[in-house]
Amino acid sequence: MSIIAPTDIDGVVAAIEAARDARTPLAVRGNGSKDGLLRPVQAGQTLSTAGLAGISLYSPQELILTAGAGTTMAEIAAAVAAKGQHVIAEPPDFSALYGTAVPQTLGGVVAANLSGPRRVMWGATRDHVMGVVAVNGRGERIHSGGRVLKNVTGLDLCKLLTGSFGTLAVITDISLKVLPAPERRGTLVLKGLSPERAVAALSRALGSPYAVSGAAYLPAAMAARVPVLAWFGDSVTLVRIEDFAPAVAYRMERLKADLAEFGAAELLDDGASVAAWASVRDVAPMVAEQGAIWRVSVRPSAGPAVAAALERAFGAAWFMDWGGGLLWVAGPATEEAHDAVIRAAGVGTFMLVRAPEALRAAVAVVPAENAVLSRISRNVKSAFDPDGILNPGRLVAGG
Amino acid sequence: MIAQPEPKQDVLAKRDSIVAGLRALVPGSGVIAEAIRLKPYETDGLSAYRQIPLAVVLPETTEQVAAVMAFCHREGVRVVPRGAGTSLSGGALPMADAVVLGLMRMNRILDIDYGDRCAVVQAGVTNIGITQAVQAEGFFYAPDPSSQLACMIGGNVNMNSGGAHCLRYGVTANNLLGLRVVTVAGEVLDIGGAHLDAAGYDWLGLLTGSEGQLAVVTEVTVRILRSPEGARAMLAAFKSNEIAGACVDAIIGSGIIPVALEFMDRPAIHACEAFAHAGYPLDAEAMLIIEVEGSITEQDYYLDRIREICNRFDPVSLKVSQSAEESLAIWKGRKGAFGAVGRISPDYLCMDGTIPTSRLADVLGRIGEMSAAYGLQVANIFHAGDGNLHPLIMFDANDPASFRKAEDFGADILKLCVEVGGCLTGEHGVGVEKRDLMGVQFSEIELDQQRRVKSAFDPGWLLNPSKVFPLKPGVAAAA
Amino acid sequence: MQTNFTEEQLRDPETSVANLILRTCVHCGFCTATCPTFVLLGDELDSPRGRIYLIKDMLENQRPASEEVVRHVDRCLSCLSCMSTCPSGVHYMHLVDHARTYIEATYRRPWHDRAMRRMLGAVLPRPALLRLALRGAKIARPLARAIPGNSVPAQRLRAMLKLAPASLPAKGAAERPGVHRAVGTRRGRVALLAGCAQNVLDPAINDATIRLLTRMGVEVVVAEGAGCCGALTHHMGQHDPAMHAAAANIAAWSREIAGEGLDAIVINTSGCGTTVKDYGFMFRTAPDAQRVQAEAVSALAADISEYLTRIGYAPSRPAPGLTVAYHAACSLQHGQKILNEPKTLLRKAGFTVKEPAEGHLCCGSAGTYNVMQPEIAGRLRERKLGNIKATKPDLIAAGNIGCMTQLAGDALPVVHTVQLLDWMAGGPAPQGIAAKSGG
Repeated sequence: MSIIAPTDIDGVVAAIEAARDARTPLAVRGNGSKDGLLRPVQAGQTLSTAGLAGISLYSPQELILTAGAGTTMAEIAAAVAAKGQHVIAEPPDFSALYGTAVPQTLGGVVAANLSGPRRVMWGATRDHVMGVVAVNGRGERIHSGGRVLKNVTGLDLCKLLTGSFGTLAVITDISLKVLPAPERRGTLVLKGLSPERAVAALSRALGSPYAVSGAAYLPAAMAARVPVLAWFGDSVTLVRIEDFAPAVAYRMERLKADLAEFGAAELLDDGASVAAWASVRDVAPMVAEQGAIWRVSVRPSAGPAVAAALERAFGAAWFMDWGGGLLWVAGPATEEAHDAVIRAAGVGTFMLVRAPEALRAAVAVVPAENAVLSRISRNVKSAFDPDGILNPGRLVAGG
Repeated sequence: MIAQPEPKQDVLAKRDSIVAGLRALVPGSGVIAEAIRLKPYETDGLSAYRQIPLAVVLPETTEQVAAVMAFCHREGVRVVPRGAGTSLSGGALPMADAVVLGLMRMNRILDIDYGDRCAVVQAGVTNIGITQAVQAEGFFYAPDPSSQLACMIGGNVNMNSGGAHCLRYGVTANNLLGLRVVTVAGEVLDIGGAHLDAAGYDWLGLLTGSEGQLAVVTEVTVRILRSPEGARAMLAAFKSNEIAGACVDAIIGSGIIPVALEFMDRPAIHACEAFAHAGYPLDAEAMLIIEVEGSITEQDYYLDRIREICNRFDPVSLKVSQSAEESLAIWKGRKGAFGAVGRISPDYLCMDGTIPTSRLADVLGRIGEMSAAYGLQVANIFHAGDGNLHPLIMFDANDPASFRKAEDFGADILKLCVEVGGCLTGEHGVGVEKRDLMGVQFSEIELDQQRRVKSAFDPGWLLNPSKVFPLKPGVAAAA
Repeated sequence: MQTNFTEEQLRDPETSVANLILRTCVHCGFCTATCPTFVLLGDELDSPRGRIYLIKDMLENQRPASEEVVRHVDRCLSCLSCMSTCPSGVHYMHLVDHARTYIEATYRRPWHDRAMRRMLGAVLPRPALLRLALRGAKIARPLARAIPGNSVPAQRLRAMLKLAPASLPAKGAAERPGVHRAVGTRRGRVALLAGCAQNVLDPAINDATIRLLTRMGVEVVVAEGAGCCGALTHHMGQHDPAMHAAAANIAAWSREIAGEGLDAIVINTSGCGTTVKDYGFMFRTAPDAQRVQAEAVSALAADISEYLTRIGYAPSRPAPGLTVAYHAACSLQHGQKILNEPKTLLRKAGFTVKEPAEGHLCCGSAGTYNVMQPEIAGRLRERKLGNIKATKPDLIAAGNIGCMTQLAGDALPVVHTVQLLDWMAGGPAPQGIAAKSGG
């Protein structure tokens, strides 16, 4: 399959117009680091945004950065770090999970709305996309939002396009809100808790006034796969604080006292915290799993029950983030296992993150919408891409 | 008066049967149709624009809303949703052939879950009502628009309301988990829930800020947060807008993000002080309200650092609040700012552009020039952290020429906001007020894209059709 | 907000004042949220902003009041919560008072409504008549349930009988004019507004006030010729009787001011206090001499809690170990903006003071409102009692006889703040109250 990689927006327009004329669907991607996510796309050509690279604006005192969709996250992280800032939602890097070596792009992270542990307190990637420029399936340039932090002018197409996996328009430029990076990080570790007790502890921590920015639980088997956590030799419940050094020290002490009934907490220092949370963020404990991997998002207090149900159904391996609200689940790549995930997620949501192509093509990789919503979905798709040439089938079969 | 789509003659002609139909769906005092009683519904927080509606209906349940929507859909009747009617952009301005759908009676809190940190409330619960319901347990609902006392969460969702503390806590969109909405055809949809980040298209994000164009919101699941241990405000006064602006840059550049960072210029300081008696510095050209949170020690730590920074900018005065009462008074002045201007001028238009914060001094300078040219006073209030600027243009509504000048002045300010890289509205919404300026920020192609998204939800353009999008023959009118 | 009055209309002083008030309003809608009727009924028309709009429309068009306008203005409690909330300083009280007078002049109410209003306006301000009526009501009380139907008059009759006390107290010290000498060295001289209905319903309040003040060295005068403040009729739009009552008071107190002099006109019924403090405005177009006197009277008027704060109150008994839910009467908190004085005094007296949630919402009493609008008043009462009980108090303290009557008859005793202060300063315990400790 040939790859078109325009270096400017005109090139994107031209590629889409050509595809439209030829009625040839396009597979839209950045570097393809997340091709294994969701459904495989049946397309004649690939349109890559990798060539739309570069940071065009970075104004640290205005907390805003604008870059081409093809700019790598590594470049962005380095640029903001140089000014003492960071990307707020700490998006995960799945290269180990998918076994790919290509660096992921800003466009990819936005198109997939990927967020890491900090999401629980500071919002998702979609919350920090302040503006996008995109080309829709009609080959028209559209922009939504801008380079300011507060903007309610017109319908919020930034949010609609973020997480739409390139099925509505090809995002070419993104303005991202950034924030000062914390001076210090610290992690409080409670060991040996059951999942239920762990979620109770995490809920207490997240319901505290101490601005907890990470709340995860790794069963013993999962913790054993994270070097800085393995030596606990048991399940670990992790609570993170990020702020100025005195605030971190103060809040860790207070939390330790507030969580005393859950056991004596141990503390991870700055370096160990960074390592531990990078593992949680990148789903590192699951890299070694052989089968399929799902991401399930539910009401936090429901997390342990969902995990238990999936253990019973197919012996799932799992761990929790977002205070119990996010479950990373590994199990056999079968339709039966997938059905069990759908049932367990209930009114929550799920996403098939990694699986052989056959399974990804055969099942609903995200929850099926009801008749009303799916009618609106089709209408919205056709409002952007009437001929269905952008990433057909990526989210929904035939959509 | 603002242009409205041609009223549908067939709808006007069958007014009586529409009213009777509504009465069958919402019994009791829930349907208003007498001319005298419709009058107070002709406008919202932007009283310069007025239009008496066909009827007003005040349902009490989602089922009633669905029944009303299905009925209006069947009859081809336009519907204008309304919450507390506090919109400053005319978001609830009626149309002559439209039914105003008031959600004020849906004011119950349905569920509070402290463990999962969320609450389910009906659309007519006031913004502050959510916080009041959870504060005994130490929680709060973060977005705090100045009208939070009165404005309702359904309206907040539709306008994606912000507030003084969104620098730290985000706007409405960042604090929602789920919605129950009714489509134009009367179907009830649940979007999201108590979980984060539903897979698939971000309907929650799209519906938030959609200004009643896509669906009617009847229930909202919000995130509630634990209140900080404490908060303290500080007033810093400066000799010029430029200096205050530079100080804002320096604070953010230092890595400190205060929970609120509000800027007022001289006229705003004077108007608010007269109302709140909060000890605002009357001898300064510009003032910042800077608020930090945390334990007393943490507050001291942040305030010491901020004071150090402020001192580099030759402040006229620096004052740290010494008590909860003092902080309350400081915020009372800021939150009552719009109304307080009502004490020094019979009428005002409140603009709501956003600008890159680095352009503040420049923009205020040019607004000052315009103010002189138009001969109208203006007071500026600014969410300095996020660039959201509220110039309050003072005029006399009993003088038609004065009102026209105020409108033109406002339009010029908003064009300037877009010109310097900002936007027409940061938190009040486009409504009817900025509808005809949309072309300044968006191309016709872009507006058509947005119109098609509306059509995807509301093919017949029955929902609040005179707002947000410039009227276009063949789009709204044809429906 | 824009208004549309002709120059000719604006030459009328009443209309000109209304215009100025309307022009202050910016239609922001903040007032809706704290308005009891909007909170209950969820209709713009039953909010201050909606009423302002209805009144504006009626006045601009010089239209006789219509049934619709009357319905929504009648539902207003005149609690003035909106005025506490309004950032623009809209004087809603003067606007709605004007509207009520306008309604009485231009609208013919149904016969039963007229009869009821005339009866209330005639009886309530006259102690002798009220006492007679209450004796009748006492006899009729058991019949309340037998009144058939859900018609407005039937509901009002039932409400009225329900409010009538089961037994009538003996006459108190303040019912007759006279001077109550200070104990010890005289440090002040005040006139006490003895009031009308309060004297009949609960003379113990005036007795306690006189005892406490004289014990503190203050001479208390119940002036010859002073009586009802005029509020009851004023709020029903009965302009002339209200002005008569007010004029009589102004004359009576002016004689005292000119004679031995007054340091204050002390009022222990906050509903009356709001009105007396407004005499200056009510007589703004009166002949100079009377206008100046009215202004002087308004300037001297002080709620008992204000006056006690001014002269310094101290208890003489040990703390009684009682928890008091302080019910802020609207006329005190909104009408007179007296928020802290009563609470501070009660704490000083040794009580534990609780402030119920939604303290800004009216209890439904509002003068004659609980008779005229029994349904809304009843819902507000339940809501208020619910919030009060949530604080788990031993008793309720309030500074207004109307609220006290409205909140009575439930599980908790209701007493006037001044009765508790008098008790702790050496007076007798209010009826039905006993200390849990000390005392």
